[in-house]
Amino acid sequence: MPANWWTRSRRYFLYVVREFTALPLALWLLWLLVEIKRAGDGPARYSPHGSAAFVVFSVIVLLFALYHSFTFLTLAGTIIHLRFIDRPVPASLIVLSQFALWAVASGVIAFVLIWFGR
Amino acid sequence: MPDKKVTIQATRFDPDRDEKPRLQSYEIPFSDESMVVLDALNYIKSHVDGSLSYRWSCRMGICGSCGMMVNGTPKLTCNAFLRDYWPRPVVVEPLNNFPLIRDLVIDMDDFMHKLKSIKPWIIRKQEIPLGGGEHRQTNDQIDEFRQFSECINCMLCYAACPVYGLNNEFLGPAATALARRYNLDSRDQGLTQRLPVIADTEGVWECSFVGECSVVCPKGVDPAKAIQQTKLDTTMRFVLPFGTRE
Repeated sequence: MPANWWTRSRRYFLYVVREFTALPLALWLLWLLVEIKRAGDGPARYSPHGSAAFVVFSVIVLLFALYHSFTFLTLAGTIIHLRFIDRPVPASLIVLSQFALWAVASGVIAFVLIWFGR
Repeated sequence: MPDKKVTIQATRFDPDRDEKPRLQSYEIPFSDESMVVLDALNYIKSHVDGSLSYRWSCRMGICGSCGMMVNGTPKLTCNAFLRDYWPRPVVVEPLNNFPLIRDLVIDMDDFMHKLKSIKPWIIRKQEIPLGGGEHRQTNDQIDEFRQFSECINCMLCYAACPVYGLNNEFLGPAATALARRYNLDSRDQGLTQRLPVIADTEGVWECSFVGECSVVCPKGVDPAKAIQQTKLDTTMRFVLPFGTRE
């Protein structure tokens, strides 16, 4: 396989982008662990890392996370194989339920963060 | 349209003379809109250059013999119409990811070995005697595995799979789809015999879901689906080891 195999087709390229998005996301989550450890020293001694570069990096990572989540949840219809009253559940319904769960989970997490952050 | 021509660029490789494959160009009459790439290769072999080597048999998308790369995409050449490429040249190359034997002929031993390893036949712990009647199935039971039984072993999915291209130890799309076809068959009891192969690290877990195997399949089989569902099933089997059908 030539090193540039992923440039041969659009679908290969999008696949590599999908896989790549996990890397900066992992770095950001590692940084989050560092921030949580720093916050453990108490509110008086904690100041969040807020440089412009970090904010830009965070926005990019957010876009990557959305893209990765979208592709992941879209594929759920292919992966999950369910039957309901002896009938296969349509893939579109499975995908829709995944996005609904995603929205609910995001809402709950946002509520908890905002509620306890007040 | 007697003067209409099409250019075919076909891979040539003689292991006794050539160091590496090369493309040879042929200009042939494009006399009929229904001509497919295989017709063009047959014309070249019959009228221009009898030494061109390639596999083919049924010419109707059933045998799976004539798979080649057509302008960079794995295709059954009997199902690739020249009108879809004309007036551009049509580049015909051997299937990607397989060793080359000669011209457009690839070595398929690796695939045949993998196919055999998943035991693509119905396995029974104890056969029902002939007098015991047939193995009956409902339509729903047939629908469970029907699409995976459409595979014709043409290997286009292997040529499209970059994971197999990077690591040919990977069991690959078609073999996994056929393993799933038999594992889903209500008559089969061979799951535990196939598990060591399909649940191996070089089995379904090597796949990172590129999905191109399903895109190129000429029979509408979805090997990517078979692989991902097998991942889920083997995980559930690990988490819930009791109550699963063998």
